Amino acid sequence: MVAIIEVNNLEKVFNGTIRAVDGVTFQVEEGEIFGFLGPNGAGKTTTISILTTLLKPTAGSATVMGLDVVKDANKVRKVIGLVPQELTVDDDLTGRENMMLQSILYNVPKKEAIERIEELIGLVKLEDAADRMVKTYSGGMRKRLELAEGLIHRPHVLFLDEPTLGLDVQTRAVMWDHIKNLKQKHNMTVFMTTHYLEEADSLCDRIGLIDYGKIMALDTPTTLKRSLGGDVLQIEVDGERDFIAVIQGVQGVVEIKREGPEYRVKVIKGETAMPLVLKALADNGGTVTSVSLERPNMDQVFLEYTGRSLRDAEQSGSMSKSQARAAAIQARRRQ
Amino acid sequence: MIKETWALTVRELKHWYRIKIQMFMTLIQPIVWLALFGQAFNLNKLLPAGTPTSVFQSFFGGASDYFSYMAVGMLAVMALFTTMFGGMSIVWDRRFGFLNKLRVAPIPRGAIPLSRIAASVVRSMIQVVIILIIALLFTYIPGLTGLTVSPAFNVVDLIGLFVVMLLLSVAFASLFTTIALAVQNQETLFGVINLLNLPLMFASAALFPTSMMPDWLKAVANYNPLTLAVDAARTFIFHNPNPLYDVWVDIAGLFVLAAFLLGLSIVISRKLMSAR
Repeated sequence: MVAIIEVNNLEKVFNGTIRAVDGVTFQVEEGEIFGFLGPNGAGKTTTISILTTLLKPTAGSATVMGLDVVKDANKVRKVIGLVPQELTVDDDLTGRENMMLQSILYNVPKKEAIERIEELIGLVKLEDAADRMVKTYSGGMRKRLELAEGLIHRPHVLFLDEPTLGLDVQTRAVMWDHIKNLKQKHNMTVFMTTHYLEEADSLCDRIGLIDYGKIMALDTPTTLKRSLGGDVLQIEVDGERDFIAVIQGVQGVVEIKREGPEYRVKVIKGETAMPLVLKALADNGGTVTSVSLERPNMDQVFLEYTGRSLRDAEQSGSMSKSQARAAAIQARRRQ
Repeated sequence: MIKETWALTVRELKHWYRIKIQMFMTLIQPIVWLALFGQAFNLNKLLPAGTPTSVFQSFFGGASDYFSYMAVGMLAVMALFTTMFGGMSIVWDRRFGFLNKLRVAPIPRGAIPLSRIAASVVRSMIQVVIILIIALLFTYIPGLTGLTVSPAFNVVDLIGLFVVMLLLSVAFASLFTTIALAVQNQETLFGVINLLNLPLMFASAALFPTSMMPDWLKAVANYNPLTLAVDAARTFIFHNPNPLYDVWVDIAGLFVLAAFLLGLSIVISRKLMSAR
């Protein structure tokens, strides 16, 4: 695998005191969807702003496709696309005009631009709305247009800052499909941030858990969840007979608890252990009446590594936390 | 650079002409100024009946009546008012994140201020043409005084007039675009605009001859770019025999100012738009 983004000890300090990004190191490989998961103000957007040449790091370095984001800023800009958190499409232009403007800013030849715009508008399913003013669009439509704009110059690396923030569940699922399609079709490398657990879980090949500007853990969603000690099988078996010994003998089983006909079986890998356990029970004359597989979710993972639940982190937050957020927002405005 | 600037200029202008109320204001504003302010100050009446027009002309830059005098001043004042708000769109674009979108794009940083300046100048020149036409049309409306040009007024004068207004617009558009890039929010921008617009308008020969001003005010007003612009404009329109400066001095002064402020806006934008 080739590292497309390389970040080394990256730091960003606002106003000399607020450490929004505090010594972050990671690599993003070619063709993967890499996600930063963390609460608002954790340093996600600040990191994206540095990688997309909007902010200068206070210390450390970052390269995109081998290009330094500070020294070769303009070269970096040519190979990346950014879909920002805010809706930045122009209300007083039509969808197509927005795309056309973007294509000129990215130096796409006009003939090619027209073809690509057609293709992208189809991809994000805005065919019917393309020639309407953007001010008539819904939030989801704007976001999809924003995504299409970010793709007009076929970037090698796409940065998505909270791609589904403020969207309803249905539209969110549609966005996920678009993003997955992109990766498959164009082998595009995607760096995204999110504070939605499900989003990180279902979209990302690898996740960095970020909090207070630091990466607390970094791995595939499956490994992260597995690191909590595996999955739990809930099995209900007919009859009075005790099957603990039978289940115990199956490979991958860690722990068993029985309550009447119900067994709670902790296993290392639920999807492979389940058929083995069921087969062992059947072979020994047990009649299974129901079975379910529980897996640790990302919230438990987040809690494990950061010491707080992501859902709680969203609501509370210490003083320095909100300061950091305010400073980050201010800094963004100032640009 | 040219392609990106052009595309962004077109965007600005689309914003302008698609908002009908803005187009309406563009038309109505000069009419209000010319019809109310211009017609109210019928200063010829101060002179005893039978006084030759040349007496009035000698005070008022060669204009035969006050309306004609102020109508030319109004061309410059409208150029100021129009370009003054040209920077507003930058503040909005910053607010809505569009400015960051431009900063992420691989475009020369200078294209950002240049497109605003170009759009401001186009709007300003359209205003100038509208005012000129309205002022001339007033001649044919009973009860109104219209703009009376010199009998020798010709095409060269007309071109000269537009060159002067163009230079003035470029200078002010650059100045206010730079200010808009530097300030963080619209309140500050409004504050700065309000601080500058009235002094710029009144401490100039736009509405009143500087020769009648007290010395301290005259000392300021004679170096106001608006004064240079209207001084040259009156030389072109009325063939004013006694201008404040030679017309080439006016044009040279405006050219140097416009070039300086334009250059400054590009240099400053580069600094303000780069990563911090």
